[in-house]
Amino acid sequence: MANLPEIVPNSLEITGLLCSAGLLAASVAASATKRRSASFALGSAAIALGVAVLIGHSMARGDWLPLDDNFDALGFLGILLAAAVLYIQFARPVGGLDWFVLPISAFMLIEAAIFGRTVPHQYAETAWSWTHRLTAYTGALALAVAGAVGAMYLVALRRLRSKNLNASTSLGSLERLESIAQYSLAIGWPLFTVGLITGLLWGIHRQAILGNSQPVFFAPKILLAVGVWIAFALALHTPINPSFRGRKAAALSLVGLLLVAATLIVVQFMPEASH
Amino acid sequence: MEHLSLLGLNHTTAPLEVREQLVFDSAQMHDALARFHADFPDGELVLLSTCNRLELYSVRPGNGGGKTGEISSLEAWPARLTHWLAGVRSVPPALFAQRLYHKTSAQAVEHLFNVAASLDSMVLGEAQILGQVRAAYDASREVKSAGRLLHPLFQRAVAVGKDVQTRTSLGDGRLSVASVAVDFARRIFDHFADKTVLCIGAGKMSSLVLRHFANLGPGKLIVCNRDLAKAENLSRQFNGSAADLQNLPELLASADIVVSGTGSARPIITRTMFDAVMKKRRYRPVFVIDIALPRDVEASVGEADNVYLYNLDDLQETVAKTLSQRKQAVDSAGKIVNEHLRQFLLAARAREIGPAIDQLYKRYHAVGQEELARTLSKFNGITAEQKAEVEELVRRLVNKILHDPVRTLRQNEALHGLTGQYLHAMEMLFNLEGVGEEKAEDVPPEADQSKFSG
Repeated sequence: MANLPEIVPNSLEITGLLCSAGLLAASVAASATKRRSASFALGSAAIALGVAVLIGHSMARGDWLPLDDNFDALGFLGILLAAAVLYIQFARPVGGLDWFVLPISAFMLIEAAIFGRTVPHQYAETAWSWTHRLTAYTGALALAVAGAVGAMYLVALRRLRSKNLNASTSLGSLERLESIAQYSLAIGWPLFTVGLITGLLWGIHRQAILGNSQPVFFAPKILLAVGVWIAFALALHTPINPSFRGRKAAALSLVGLLLVAATLIVVQFMPEASH
Repeated sequence: MEHLSLLGLNHTTAPLEVREQLVFDSAQMHDALARFHADFPDGELVLLSTCNRLELYSVRPGNGGGKTGEISSLEAWPARLTHWLAGVRSVPPALFAQRLYHKTSAQAVEHLFNVAASLDSMVLGEAQILGQVRAAYDASREVKSAGRLLHPLFQRAVAVGKDVQTRTSLGDGRLSVASVAVDFARRIFDHFADKTVLCIGAGKMSSLVLRHFANLGPGKLIVCNRDLAKAENLSRQFNGSAADLQNLPELLASADIVVSGTGSARPIITRTMFDAVMKKRRYRPVFVIDIALPRDVEASVGEADNVYLYNLDDLQETVAKTLSQRKQAVDSAGKIVNEHLRQFLLAARAREIGPAIDQLYKRYHAVGQEELARTLSKFNGITAEQKAEVEELVRRLVNKILHDPVRTLRQNEALHGLTGQYLHAMEMLFNLEGVGEEKAEDVPPEADQSKFSG
């Protein structure tokens, strides 16, 4: 992996991902104006364009690194999330799901375009590091979905409390939103936990090798990740403590989502050695 | 187009006693259409029969006939159709003749588009009418009583209705307290097969609301009342069970939807009682509908987490908002109807005058060619290039001469309803023959099928 040539994403690839994000935004706008077919077409075009960029990029490099560098990882996961949303909206629509989740997908594509690095991470050579990246990324993705659905829950709840049935778009029933959020949490939280533990172990190992005196536990990325873990842990334990059910769990998921976004941004500005 | 006629009555012109004698079920409608087809083979008919209206969209037979008498003028057709309808329904014409309205040409088209868009309905924006318009058209297609004019007209009408439904909020929301309550329940719960509906009180209003919730197919339905016999009586109607009011706290702990409508002077569900209930039900969401006056449920119950309390005012306010929202959408719906009307009339006129224009061009180009040949025969030694130039000159000359009258025919919107007269004038002035004699069977039923999409 380490001898792979460094390929900087060219302007065409960056433009492609930004256009893909733009198409996702247009899809959300079309959905907001009840143009479902247009929304679906735009979303599909965004996915097709994103896939084309990743294929082109991989062909230029001669290998596909789905999770080993930020460009491929963020692009791949952003497209995967958009595809999942489109599938749900096609198979059994949840009103407003695309409004809340597709922006996350677009955000990931924009982040890939702006911050995307194409040099494989230095620690991408062991099974531990692979486990870390796979579980951390997919766990964060599932938790992000839970957070977005939590936000939907809060909006739907507010409408119900204000007895507003005449809102232009229904956001799906509270029961279904709660169920989606719980499923996402049940998948995302264990994965994220494994990602966090393996990441910490790798950080300690790297610190020992590099002789870095800065405590790894206080790195901003680690602190934010722990915050994410705590917020979603509280949200996940509602079946044990039902007084957390509903509004509180949704609010915690939303806080978790903001922390996930902050973590993804912060990690881009950290020196490679701290990863 | 001026052969198109609408004869009908609706809830604004005829009382229920009259309408009920003229209503057609599906089989009767097919029979009536078949009879019309037999009586007037070159006429067209679509029969729209709903509980609020009976409308006959017909194309007057153009040959002045029919098996049962002469129909030579537009004025005679409504009377003929009235008698035909009376015969089909076996009622005297006097029963309904005075209640009828009659419209022709563009006015009839506009009326149908308004009907399909639910702008002419008793309940503004109700969605059923579009299905009824489509069913009426389907019946006519099956019996082959719709032809060259009614096929595109009804296909366009269905497109208008769909357009209004998707592009405006005319059909959004509910207009009864019970259906609003069900809509709120759907915003809370995803499925109802595992839910319990509890009805406190066995009065008329409770029964009405309960009927709506019973249609959701809940797992369990319980009626609870001081008078157990009344509770049993009501629960039997919905395959539910009855319970005594004394067991209320236990019943509340198991219920997901609570409809309360007792005649109690004081609240029977207090916050203290409900806090204990919520703990017992592990904070599962509960939807409480208080339709009693004075109220059965303390207002503070609705402040608890996962409790959604709605009283009669809340539900009625939603109904009022829906009504107001629908009224606001009327303008947008009207614009859509007008746009479709304009497009349809233009297309209809193009269909009517197209063959005439075609024939006009053919005829005068033939005259031009004839004169050209005569002139060219007088010249010797004319080159091929010179001949082509002169031919082009004649072609351009004919086109320029015909350009203005043809453009006027195609574009002048003031011609609505006068197309037939213009066609007749063209036939006479330019000595055209057989203009506009396109046969009904030449037009495929799905000619305007694209309008269904979207």
